[in-house]
Amino acid sequence: MAVNGTHVQPEHAQLACGRDAAVAWDAAVAGRRDAHQRACPHCQAVAEDQRLLASAVAELHEEALEPPASLVEQVMGAVFAEIRPAGYLPLPTRHGRARIDRVAAAGVLRHAVDRMPAVRVRSCQIHLVDPPGPDDATQGTPPVRVRISVTARFGLDLISATARVRQMILAAAADLLGLSVTAIDIDVVDVHDDPSWAPAGADAPS
Amino acid sequence: MTSEEHPATHWDGVPAESRLHVSDTVVARVAAYHACRVPGVLRLRPNLAQSMTGIASRLLAPRDGEHRISTDGVTAVVEGGRAEISVSVITRWGRNCRDLADEIQRQVAEQVQSYTGLPATVSVTITDVDYRS
Repeated sequence: MAVNGTHVQPEHAQLACGRDAAVAWDAAVAGRRDAHQRACPHCQAVAEDQRLLASAVAELHEEALEPPASLVEQVMGAVFAEIRPAGYLPLPTRHGRARIDRVAAAGVLRHAVDRMPAVRVRSCQIHLVDPPGPDDATQGTPPVRVRISVTARFGLDLISATARVRQMILAAAADLLGLSVTAIDIDVVDVHDDPSWAPAGADAPS
Repeated sequence: MTSEEHPATHWDGVPAESRLHVSDTVVARVAAYHACRVPGVLRLRPNLAQSMTGIASRLLAPRDGEHRISTDGVTAVVEGGRAEISVSVITRWGRNCRDLADEIQRQVAEQVQSYTGLPATVSVTITDVDYRS
């Protein structure tokens, strides 16, 4: 270390009064300051520094660090969220690159179809028809294909039900995602009973 | 880190050169502050490092009462006089995701440029959609 050209040995930092700062520090630690150290402002400053450090260390030492019970869950949740295999669909915007998690996008469509009274979604996936190139970010909406499997209420007209599902997917993809769906595969994998359902115009159960 | 040169006038009338350095962290904080205020953004989604830092911060609360603006969900790199910003968000069901991303890009770029003077490019990732809110 050089101060104004004078070399100072780091192990012998001299105070303005001529005393060694380390000696003054050790005296303060031991509580054995001599008459000079008690009266000299430079040595007093060293003693005050020592007191500040000692009190800060004591404060930390006395503080009981109790990790919350959910600490492991929080850490594992963060890790699992990060390592989940992620695939993305591009969202063409005017101001730069944007994308949406493929699973999250499929969830939006799934939630929309699930709101239909006679249909329940088993699975939903979205695939890019043609993966865009690196310069396609600001071009037109990339076409996607939706594959959805549903169960239908027993007795429902499957032809009209799948037409309604198709329309719901087209509208939800455009209105909620900003994606253009060019193909939809609908698998009706099962039928389910719905005791609460009564056809329009039917008499209310007595 | 980058710098913008601003010719300033010294006290004796001699032009003095001054430089404004804006760090990645400053840009990330400004971006995060404004991104989470765009209508439709439920919250920003931190990456793994930010999550771990957040957990540690909650355990070891700052003693000096300093309230930092979180950068969770935002990374920024300032290079060549430009800011490249990435924002990860969770949105509410019912918002058009493409329009939301567009609005985040517009507002964040505008606010970062207004605050720091740096032109910014903003990439948006919508990582999840919340159905409960």
